Amino acid sequence: MNMPISTKIPPSNHPFAEVIHRLEAGGAMLPDTPENLMQIIGLYKAYAVPMDFYWRDLLYIGEQVFLNPLPFFKFFISNEYLQRENHYAGDNADLRIWRGRGTVHPELEEFIKQGELKKGLPRLFHHLWHDRINMEFAEECMRAMLWHRNMYAPVNQFDPYLDSDEYKQNADRAIRAYFKGNPLMLALHNTFPEMFLEQCREASYYANLGLFWEVMAPVFFEISDLYDEGKIASVPDAMNFLVNGIFAIAGRPIYHHVYIRGECYEIIPKSKGFTWLYEAALPYVEAVFYRTSPFRGTKSYNAQAGQVPDDQKDFHYGVLYADKFPVGTAGIPPTLLAQDMLHFLPQYLVDYYQQHCRGEDDMLIQLAISFQRSMYCVTSAVIQALRAALLYPLDDPNPKHLMANRKFFESQMDRFLRPEARLRDIQSPIYR
Amino acid sequence: MLSTLIWLPVFGAAVIGFLPGNFASARFRWGAIAISGFLLLWTLWLFTQFDLATSEMQMREFVAWIPTLGINYSLGLDGLSLPLIALTNLLTLLVAFSSEHLTPQAQVLKRPRLFYALLLLINAGMAGALLAQNLLLFFFFYELELIPFYLMIVIWGSAKREYAGMKFLIYTATSGVLILAAFLAIGWLTGSANFEYSAIQTAELSQRVQLILLTLVVIGFGIKIPLVPLHTWLPDAYVEASTPTAILLGGVLSKLGTYGLARFGVGLFPETWSLVTPGLSVVAAVCLMYGALAAIAQKDIKRMVAYSSIGHMGYVLLGMAALTPLSMVGSVSQMVSHGLILALLFYLVGVIEVKVGTRELDVLNGLLNAIRGLPMTSALLILAGMASAGIPGMMGFVAEFLVFQGSFTTFPIPTLLGVIGSGLTAVYFVILLNRTCFGKLDNKTAYYPRVTLSEHLPALALTALVFWLGIQPTWLVRWSESTTTALVSAAPVERQIVLSQATAITAPVLD
Repeated sequence: MNMPISTKIPPSNHPFAEVIHRLEAGGAMLPDTPENLMQIIGLYKAYAVPMDFYWRDLLYIGEQVFLNPLPFFKFFISNEYLQRENHYAGDNADLRIWRGRGTVHPELEEFIKQGELKKGLPRLFHHLWHDRINMEFAEECMRAMLWHRNMYAPVNQFDPYLDSDEYKQNADRAIRAYFKGNPLMLALHNTFPEMFLEQCREASYYANLGLFWEVMAPVFFEISDLYDEGKIASVPDAMNFLVNGIFAIAGRPIYHHVYIRGECYEIIPKSKGFTWLYEAALPYVEAVFYRTSPFRGTKSYNAQAGQVPDDQKDFHYGVLYADKFPVGTAGIPPTLLAQDMLHFLPQYLVDYYQQHCRGEDDMLIQLAISFQRSMYCVTSAVIQALRAALLYPLDDPNPKHLMANRKFFESQMDRFLRPEARLRDIQSPIYR
Repeated sequence: MLSTLIWLPVFGAAVIGFLPGNFASARFRWGAIAISGFLLLWTLWLFTQFDLATSEMQMREFVAWIPTLGINYSLGLDGLSLPLIALTNLLTLLVAFSSEHLTPQAQVLKRPRLFYALLLLINAGMAGALLAQNLLLFFFFYELELIPFYLMIVIWGSAKREYAGMKFLIYTATSGVLILAAFLAIGWLTGSANFEYSAIQTAELSQRVQLILLTLVVIGFGIKIPLVPLHTWLPDAYVEASTPTAILLGGVLSKLGTYGLARFGVGLFPETWSLVTPGLSVVAAVCLMYGALAAIAQKDIKRMVAYSSIGHMGYVLLGMAALTPLSMVGSVSQMVSHGLILALLFYLVGVIEVKVGTRELDVLNGLLNAIRGLPMTSALLILAGMASAGIPGMMGFVAEFLVFQGSFTTFPIPTLLGVIGSGLTAVYFVILLNRTCFGKLDNKTAYYPRVTLSEHLPALALTALVFWLGIQPTWLVRWSESTTTALVSAAPVERQIVLSQATAITAPVLD
């Protein structure tokens, strides 16, 4: 839906005027080229497969592992969770919105069985060899959300609720039930009541992110299928698919249930009415796409020298700002994610990367940069969705309304004026 | 046996030079590799035949050439020339193997036929000069080196190559004139029937004449080494020359200067030499400090390495000036060590230049990056820097330590300055490594091609050698011990007594 640039209001003078005009015309921050489309769709697919594991394991940790003080096997998901039906996809879905299957994706199932080594070694060896889905990345995202709390207040009710007495009571009940018959832990809990409560908040964020990604995985699977079928032909098509998806699922409940000895403890009951868009999606985008934290890659940050901002709000280390060149350095979250995605790249992307830069040798970086492009497309969808929810249609006849839209877009683009933002880079195909 | 080292490369150069020009460049390359590889094997075989016990010339060959003028084809090998022959052949092989890798991607190595022919001629000239036992024969090979080197600089050099080549030619031709004058005077004044090295007796000359002749020799070879203040051709020549030429200039040619000094300075004028050593030790200290300080100030990493070369040749001179058995062994070891480490440094800088496209310290950054950088090259550069700075475990340490240990009793202050210079080496290598290898790779520019295994191979081989000779230094020093001891023992007796008294006096104090 490429609409002509509006002539009802004068052109923008913003440094990113070109991008703003594109957004006003119904486009994305990412230029609409076949190459970009291929990269982002391929990455959505490669991202969706590990994500199908992320959400299952996150819910497993939040609901089953919970406060286990020695959670050595938290990434060894139970079969029940691995085969768990998605609530919004598959034949047995509560509300079928997406057409894919509800149980675990076949590529993922095979990978879990055999790993990259294709050897039927015991799972523990695959785990220690990092021949597995790297949940460390998912946990890093969860921690970013926990750490940057109070985002999107006051519309985000999830976060204040974690500090409410009601939550504390629910959590206390679950903690006491979990450590029943364990006097040491109960004594610790009585002495330091905040300690396990904070752990419980973390578990609530495990559940929050798990429920968020439960929705995103089938979205990305479907967008990839549609592209393969030729039904998604441009970057705005992909973005609009995401926007529609966001609205279709915006009301999905966000909750935290814990299962202790077969009994369900509702730490955050569904009845609180927390929803997917405001309590999970928007905080997620803010925490993971924009802020995150200065983890160590090849660059180390010196907080005492002022290299890390004093105010958490000013953090800009997320995927939209990240330097992808250090990807490949052991242990940093982007590398772990890139490795996960590398296992599930569609063939057309493997061939594409072979032709550029160092081919096989730096595929991790190339795909990490494609991932950055695809996340700019997701962020564009979020910006367009917010504009649709809070402001006016793009084809509104009233120039004042268009001006309000313009101001909104400009304020969003202001966040990319920082020198480390990659919005400028992704405008060019040379950045790879 | 020794003639093979001279005539095989000459023959190879002729064959390559007369092959049709439309042959693929790879054929010339493999031809040069085959010949230089064979020469290296031949040298290894010479090592097995070499008698460690004697300080006499071995494997002598003699053919009368122009007897009336006293010019004969007279060759011989001793502990001074053998390690340098090996160094020359190793570096020739390395250059033959890697010249194409060290040519910027956008251009191929132009005129490969001429290049490889000149390379083999250089090898022949070096071997001839190192083996010659006749003064004029030495001079013949010494001058022969000039032509291929001049051509190498002006044909394959960078922007200011004509200027650098001409400067190199003028300086080294002057060096040649001085050496020729000295040699002719030595031959005529001593009244020997020919210019045979072994036949010359300088003892009957007056000390004043000896001093004049020695001065000519020192200045002549000092230009070649080069010693400060005769060094100004070096930074231009090393930097403007292409990387393969720079490896040969620094690794091989500069050794002719120090070799000449040891052979014809220390060897022919032992008494007068010990007269001038205090002055030479000061020159050595100046070289050391000047080279290090100038290197610190550079912005171009190749120029930095070039200045480091000046500093490190200072150790060779310091060891020779001290003239103790230990320091002389150190001196010879330092020649080899300098040749290998400098070649490694130039090679790695050349790889960086080819891949990244710049040598500017202010532009380079983050090359250690595991995937998009040049991690192996950077890692080897760090090792090479450590070797050059004399970190124990690598051969740079062995050579420098021997020099310091041997020269401290004779020249404490220049030695201490040498130790400081060694510390300053660490300073400029930390600057170099910090700017080039560490830091953040620039997203705008960092799309460098990968370094292939065959491009790594020469650097890996040199690094392995640097480590091996650092851990097993006996393989480095054993060859030259007899020869250097003989050179030292030719020094005047009083001096040796003074030295032994000095150690005798200090020994109880140390206890």
